[in-house]
Amino acid sequence: MIPESFGYSAPSSLIDAYALLEQHGDDAKILAGGHSLIPMMKLRFASPTHLIDINKIPNLSYIKEEDGYLKIGAMTREVDLEESEVIRHKYPIFTDASKLIADPQVRNFGTIGGNIAHGDAANDHPAVMLALGAEVVISSAAGDRTVGIDDFFFGFYTTAVQHGEILTEIRIPSLGPRTGSAYHKLERKVGDYATAGVAVVIGLNEDGSCSKVGIGLTNVNPTPIRAARSEQILLGTTMSESDVAQAAQYAAEDCSPSDDLRGSVEFKKDMIRVITKRMINKAIQRTKL
Amino acid sequence: MEKRKEIFPFGIPGHNLSEIEREIPNDEPPAWPVNDQLKEVGKRVNRIDARAKVTGEAKYTSDMKLSGMLYAKFLRSNIPHGSITSIDTSEAEKVPGVHGIHIITKNKEDGMVGNEYPEIKYVGQPIAGVAAESLSIAKDAVAMIKIEYDPKSFVIDLEEAMLPDAPLVFKEPIQRQEDGGDVGVVHDGSKGQGNLRGPTTSSFYGGPRGDLEKGFAEADVMVENTYRTQVHTHMPLETHGVVIDWKPEEMLVYASTQNTAGVRNELANYFELPKSQVRVICDFMGGGFGAKHSAGSFGPMAAILSKKTKRPVWLMIDRKEEHLAEGNRPSSIQTLKIGAKRDGTLTAIQQKSHGTAGVALGAGVGRIAQILYDCPNFKTEQYDVLTHAGPGAAWRAPGNVQGAFGVEQAIDELAEKLKMDPLALRDKIDKSEVRKVERSRGAELFGWSNRKPAGSASGIIKKGMGVAQSCWPRFVTLNSSIEVRILNDGSVEVRGSVQDIGTGTKTILAQVVAEELGLKTTDITVRIGDTLFPDGPGSGGSVVTQSITPPARNAAYEAKMKLFNQIATKWETEASKLEAVDGFIIHKDDRSKKIPFKEALRGMRTSQISVTASRSNDYGGFQQPWGLAYGDLGSVQFAEVSVNTNTGFVKVDRVVAAHSCGRPLNMSQLESQVNGGVIQGISYALYENRVMDKGTGHFMNANVDQYKVPYSMEIPEIEVIIVEEYGALSSTDAYGIGEPANIATAVAIANAVYNAIGVRIYEIPITPASILKALNKIYE
Repeated sequence: MIPESFGYSAPSSLIDAYALLEQHGDDAKILAGGHSLIPMMKLRFASPTHLIDINKIPNLSYIKEEDGYLKIGAMTREVDLEESEVIRHKYPIFTDASKLIADPQVRNFGTIGGNIAHGDAANDHPAVMLALGAEVVISSAAGDRTVGIDDFFFGFYTTAVQHGEILTEIRIPSLGPRTGSAYHKLERKVGDYATAGVAVVIGLNEDGSCSKVGIGLTNVNPTPIRAARSEQILLGTTMSESDVAQAAQYAAEDCSPSDDLRGSVEFKKDMIRVITKRMINKAIQRTKL
Repeated sequence: MEKRKEIFPFGIPGHNLSEIEREIPNDEPPAWPVNDQLKEVGKRVNRIDARAKVTGEAKYTSDMKLSGMLYAKFLRSNIPHGSITSIDTSEAEKVPGVHGIHIITKNKEDGMVGNEYPEIKYVGQPIAGVAAESLSIAKDAVAMIKIEYDPKSFVIDLEEAMLPDAPLVFKEPIQRQEDGGDVGVVHDGSKGQGNLRGPTTSSFYGGPRGDLEKGFAEADVMVENTYRTQVHTHMPLETHGVVIDWKPEEMLVYASTQNTAGVRNELANYFELPKSQVRVICDFMGGGFGAKHSAGSFGPMAAILSKKTKRPVWLMIDRKEEHLAEGNRPSSIQTLKIGAKRDGTLTAIQQKSHGTAGVALGAGVGRIAQILYDCPNFKTEQYDVLTHAGPGAAWRAPGNVQGAFGVEQAIDELAEKLKMDPLALRDKIDKSEVRKVERSRGAELFGWSNRKPAGSASGIIKKGMGVAQSCWPRFVTLNSSIEVRILNDGSVEVRGSVQDIGTGTKTILAQVVAEELGLKTTDITVRIGDTLFPDGPGSGGSVVTQSITPPARNAAYEAKMKLFNQIATKWETEASKLEAVDGFIIHKDDRSKKIPFKEALRGMRTSQISVTASRSNDYGGFQQPWGLAYGDLGSVQFAEVSVNTNTGFVKVDRVVAAHSCGRPLNMSQLESQVNGGVIQGISYALYENRVMDKGTGHFMNANVDQYKVPYSMEIPEIEVIIVEEYGALSSTDAYGIGEPANIATAVAIANAVYNAIGVRIYEIPITPASILKALNKIYE
């Protein structure tokens, strides 16, 4: 449980951070909250030769509504999401998710940017972002670029963030009226990674039919996965009991969990079915709030 | 010894409290009244070491830092079975900061035939140790030892180990390890064949009873089922380990141990040293649940490395090693057949069990089936199955926890067949008076009358209620001594080797001595956990309270009488005319004649009075002369659960635990121990499970991340009822409660789950998947 030796820098600006990334090459890693990276280093699953700590860089922690987006700075701590009034009122899906992430000590330091940039399908925010149709702002010395969440996760622990780049902001398209969102995960006991988790965003037309739907799944696929067939079958419908049941069934069929100590493939798929149904109904309920 | 007659309280206050006359030796102190009339004993006294513990001032073994101390680390086997063909330490020796390396070789008595290294029998078996200037240097050096194995086929699954062509763990008969604590029932490793050892058919309560065939023929109703429990590893906060400084004149050992005297004896014996030259200290203990009685392999390793390097050596094992190699509660597969008459009277109980303690023995399922209920016809056959896995060890009520999981479900199944309430059936077949009171007081607090028929709850989340009982013997360690010293400033010191495992032994000793001397608990200085002082019991078998508090009281009484004699001479009266109350020594006939306790010894010829007393026999004798007292430590626990029938998740909402322990000494500490037992029971029922990989023989979840123990969020409301029960058996009449606290919880939860969903779960841990499978919601 002792990492291999590594160098450490704590730049005070993004410009300096880009320079350090350039200087140290592929073996440098960005350190945000450290709650994924440091355990992996202690287990020696990761052995970066240099850590670039971005905690001292100002203006990377914020939650603001601007230009039709909810913008969240990459260094925003989980606890800030948990306690934000805007989030609690308009984006309760974050409150649902934040409360279920690890334990208070982790949430006091873990960041939303790190949660996503880690590219781990077991983390909770990726599914939430998929459901919300988020965009990710990736910055480098060459400037900023924006990547849609569906193009962000490449594979196991790999994302669209390339060498020399830093994830700096998450943008959520503002949710219109009559929108509801919800997230839940099953965990063997409090603080565990998800056995199975489901994020759902639902928007309604004035007639009550489904105008918008996003469903993301946690820890049931090598990469964070969107339940695309489930979304398609709901869109435009009144979301009757049978529509919802079918959407839940598709989510279960389309995910690819692995057999592990959290449960068998069959058990996890069935949990996706149960939770998808529950979260769709909860999101629909929240459209009325 | 001259004897006198003395009247003692007897029975259960609020139920059947009376008095009994006993003839006791003259040097025993007078009978104490019931707790109501005492000042320190039986009260909610704060732990005397609470401040030291919460402020971090308390020094545990792993905190010890001695001058020039080295840190040691084990190299452990990476294969489950095989022999070591070569070990090359040359690279490791060159690592700067490495001071000593020791390779474990076969003992002389093993004959040293062929290979000089012991055969590897499980993943995690210690092979060598490195002592270095820091732990990280030691770890790096361990990684540089080159080792070559000749691997052999292995078996880690209990049922596969019983097949005729299974790889053998031991080719020869084996013995149970000494100093391992009580591991259920006595096992004889010389019987059996292949990987099977046994059967064990008797215990100290005797062997088979009556005629099974006749008993089953007389039965109107029968229950027969198989119950399974998992391997449950030890997870004390502080892992096993020692700090040893082997100096020429003395081997000084700081140990995280449940038995300082035992570890001293073991090390003295191992290294052929006089006991007087080994000193073992355990001032604060970071948790122990049965596996910390022995010096283990870390004791000798640290001692050898200390001798080699002439430096103190710190050797605390890490969490993974703790899981792999330092004991576990063996698994069990138990078949129970119980017959009863229409009115509930039991006619026959037949039990057959197999369990694996890995490379060790001790997988019996205890004595619950044998003695919890009245039944004339009884037979048990308990087998150990050896596998290539880490050794089992005592684990809080060894055997009885597994045994209760079968028996208490079977009794509930019987009650259902007889259309009786589970409590009513137990009223019929349980002769214990104290459990009768526990059932009735527990049922009332719990609200048992609100329990609904099994499976009748509607909705997705179903609630259920369950109950289960336990028993545990009242063991007494007769070799228990303690010293009480009254110094000439009136301060009082209690000294013994007995350690405080964390349950509050220091505090109850202070309470008992304070009560006897008319002082406050906080007036007493307690120095225990040091073999410099008189030998006390190990903290296992729930023996400590009944073994060490009577000699503590007797020593305080004798010291007090010595003090009284001196004062009486001065006051020209008799010692019997004096009493010690509220910090004064007072003349009973002339209460104006008094002297503060703090001044009583001033001007005396000696600056101290010191008395060492040993445990005397129980006033009414013993069931077994080696120290099996009369009565048992019974409990009844009630659990309420919620089961989500869509996800299979079980939440324990509430537990009511009704317990007895003779005369309760400290209500807060007793409640704390019961809380701990219940929490471990919940963990056993729902979470903890050793998972082995059949392909590699590795323990898959040997960590804290994947080996699940509950957080506070999983812990329900726990309400504790302590039933006072006087037996007039010793000068304190007090007993331990540690093990009984852990026996009934898991099976009470299993019975509650059945009540909730109407389908019985025969195996723990009860997982969401097992619930859904039972409900036919998923098919595996």
